[in-house]
Amino acid sequence: MNGECHISSLVVHSRPDQVSAIIERIRAIEGVEIHGGQETGKLIVTLETETEDQVVERINAIQLLEGVLAATLVFHHFEPVQERE
Amino acid sequence: MDLTRRTLLKTQAAAAAAAAANVALPASAQNILTGEDLQLQWSKAPCRFCGTGCGVMVGVKDGRVVATHGDMQAEVNRGLNCVKGYFLSKIMYGSDRLTQPLMRMKNGQFAKDGEFQAVSWDRAFDEMAKQFKRVLKEKGPEAVGMFGSGQWTIWEGYAASKLLRAGFRTNNLDPNARHCMASAAVTFIRTFGMDEPMGCYDDFEHADAFVLWGSNMAEMHPILWTRVTDRRLSHPHVRIATLSTYEHRTTDLSDMALIFKPNSDLAIMNYIANYIIQNGAVNREFVEKHCNIRLANTDIGYGLRPENVLEQRAQHANDAQVSNPSSFEEYAKLVSQYTVEKASELSGVPAARLEALARLYADPKIKVMSLWTMGFNQHVRGVWANHMVYNLHLLTGKIAEPGNSPFSLTGQPSACGTAREVGTFSHRLPADMQVNNPEHRKHAEELWKLPHGLLPEKVGYHAVQQDRMLKDGKLNAYWIMCNNNLQTAPNTNNETYPGYRNPANFVVVSDAYPTVTAMAADVILPAAMWVEKEGAYGNAERRTHFWHQLVNAPGDARSDLWQLMEFSKRFTTDEVWPAQILESSPEYRGRSLFDVLFANGEVNRFPVSEIDPAYENRESKAFGFYVQKGLFEEYASFGRGHGHDLAPFESYHQARGLRWPVVDGKETLWRYREGFDPYVEKGSGLQFYGNPDKKANIMGAPYEPPAESPDAEYDLWLVTGRVLEHWHSGSMTLRVPELYKAFPGAVVFMHPDDAAKRHLRRGQEVRVVSRRGEIRSRIETRGRNRVPPGLIFVPFFDASQLINKVTLDATDPISKQTDFKKCAVKVVSAATADAGEQP
Repeated sequence: MNGECHISSLVVHSRPDQVSAIIERIRAIEGVEIHGGQETGKLIVTLETETEDQVVERINAIQLLEGVLAATLVFHHFEPVQERE
Repeated sequence: MDLTRRTLLKTQAAAAAAAAANVALPASAQNILTGEDLQLQWSKAPCRFCGTGCGVMVGVKDGRVVATHGDMQAEVNRGLNCVKGYFLSKIMYGSDRLTQPLMRMKNGQFAKDGEFQAVSWDRAFDEMAKQFKRVLKEKGPEAVGMFGSGQWTIWEGYAASKLLRAGFRTNNLDPNARHCMASAAVTFIRTFGMDEPMGCYDDFEHADAFVLWGSNMAEMHPILWTRVTDRRLSHPHVRIATLSTYEHRTTDLSDMALIFKPNSDLAIMNYIANYIIQNGAVNREFVEKHCNIRLANTDIGYGLRPENVLEQRAQHANDAQVSNPSSFEEYAKLVSQYTVEKASELSGVPAARLEALARLYADPKIKVMSLWTMGFNQHVRGVWANHMVYNLHLLTGKIAEPGNSPFSLTGQPSACGTAREVGTFSHRLPADMQVNNPEHRKHAEELWKLPHGLLPEKVGYHAVQQDRMLKDGKLNAYWIMCNNNLQTAPNTNNETYPGYRNPANFVVVSDAYPTVTAMAADVILPAAMWVEKEGAYGNAERRTHFWHQLVNAPGDARSDLWQLMEFSKRFTTDEVWPAQILESSPEYRGRSLFDVLFANGEVNRFPVSEIDPAYENRESKAFGFYVQKGLFEEYASFGRGHGHDLAPFESYHQARGLRWPVVDGKETLWRYREGFDPYVEKGSGLQFYGNPDKKANIMGAPYEPPAESPDAEYDLWLVTGRVLEHWHSGSMTLRVPELYKAFPGAVVFMHPDDAAKRHLRRGQEVRVVSRRGEIRSRIETRGRNRVPPGLIFVPFFDASQLINKVTLDATDPISKQTDFKKCAVKVVSAATADAGEQP
């Protein structure tokens, strides 16, 4: 699994009153970015990781955050890091 | 991968998620790449796992599935995917994939006590044919049987039904769906005269309240759960109530959680019915116009072996299914015993919470969607539990319209499509017809172009009975396809395994992986799976969904469909049909079963040239006609014009599934309601047309205790079930390294006080012991499932901890579905001196 780059995205359904706290906690996770969705409580989150294991780990971590109702994968792509370098 | 590409991919990922969530992103972030850039060929398919029926896009590169993602065009999941669905691309590539037939051999011959050796398909089929013919000759059709699957494609189930019923003339065909939703299926017929829900997933966007009866949707149906949470978030008045015997992710996220004692759901539902009646919330007009009232036979036993004292003692063990016409007054009297005090006492749920729940059903302004799966179905009174929830919806008229929906979820991808609609149960034929109805058999014989009187009328052995009959040496030639029954059947050490290894029996298992079931067989046949064949599934909302063959199966692995049809070539009518039938229909003499069942002028009607040239189709190539289309069109002729209409074959390769009945190209979203369902007569408003009088049955039944409850020695309830990462027995998900690592082994979820009382620590190795058997596992006192004192939860996915050695083979006496949710166990340290004999 070495030398790969995994890009994936999630929709994170969050309780409206806890959105800002959830965003803060998600931002603290390595390789994670939030792209929008704050207004509706449906956060659009991307993950950049080196392994697929880390994808699952990150989702579980987000899933268990206080106020998160569901964290669901939408997109996943991976390729070797060297391929285009 | 350079930085620009990373950014580009991330933009694409975010755009996909935003589209799926229906969230607007800044314009710069909406640049979706096409597949070209990734050099993959993308095709649609339904997911291989649960009954939700999500659409996925499958990316193929160089003959291998390399990627999947949620299908944006699929109405079910709108681009979303759960973690299992996410790793679909990996389920076919486990390192121990079976690629050639294996047979137990000694000195170059088949031997029951031999070791597995690789053999050719011919060799394997020769031995199977020899053994099946021997058993048919010595003991007759009742000694032959098959255990099939709610994971079979529609045509696989249909071909199996033809081969067993019309070929071998036995109804000893049952699917693993018997363990899964027989209670739901049976109650649909008993209540509405027709199987499957009246509503559909669109109800999620219309309901004001969701009541989850024993369902942990957040983990088991995660995509449907996102639809519930979406509704909840966007409409603040919406409420979610979850009933369960322990706390889990779904109860955490609900507005109302009711933790009840096992089996007391019956008392809770009768209390709600009583509340509705006492508070004048009955929709009188609806009940009078659309319902009949019946009372069920009571004291009906537990579906155990007839010599069991519990069966001997039960008054109606032998006529459990009987019910009698009654009146509203009688029904009201029956449920009037279930006061809030009594329901609270039996269930352990505080009275105020029960009242709050009852109000959701009673308030005419609140549209209620009730959802359930195994909590109701795997229940010694599973049929009653299903009836009782329909009673609540029928009393209030909250049914068959957007948002008012009693909805039975399913656990397997084609539990509805294959097990129920095709009719692979031991009592069923296609389109809800029954084997013991002479008119139904006659109709099937006509459509199948077979001689009159050929189909057997006797209901065959159901799943648990098959195991018992194998053990007792009465079922001797047995084929298991597409399931892992030795891991998932109840009380396996005493009732399942002995039958597989009984020297009188010959057992064949078709599977993609060497499951514990396969390893206990005499012959193992390597199966093609999922997109290695053209397929069709039917999900929980009546949606039929097709896919093309996208890759070839590895080595000699072949689909169950090919296996069934190819095997049928080895039998002639003279060998397996009675002389009397051949005498009156001499044109069937000396023909192979393949000829009379599959080359019958119907199934072989469509040439291979009709197959989409972009896709491979191994079965059709092998047999010389478009096999799937022929089987589908013959099968569809059972339901068209009878409320089960399916669309033309080709349309399913385009659409992301269609919900039957499909009439004039239009799906039916809500059945029985005028304006939604073309089968309802104009001006009638609503008709439950599955029954001759077009009325549904309100069925009164009491609370009765479970078959086994904790006592001084076996002092804990055992509940079994699933976890998010693993699907059923784990044959596929355990082979995905990421899912394996996320939840590698089963654990015993126990309350910290119960652990302390037994001097057990978190992580300690323990024995879980029942009167039937035991396993070793480890204690977990934290984590996602929090059980109350007096109850443990053990998942069943782990083949190294076969919890079904411990469970009890008690079933609902009406549906014959096992109760995997309640039996009595004790938990002791694995190190204690009384560890005694090893299993």
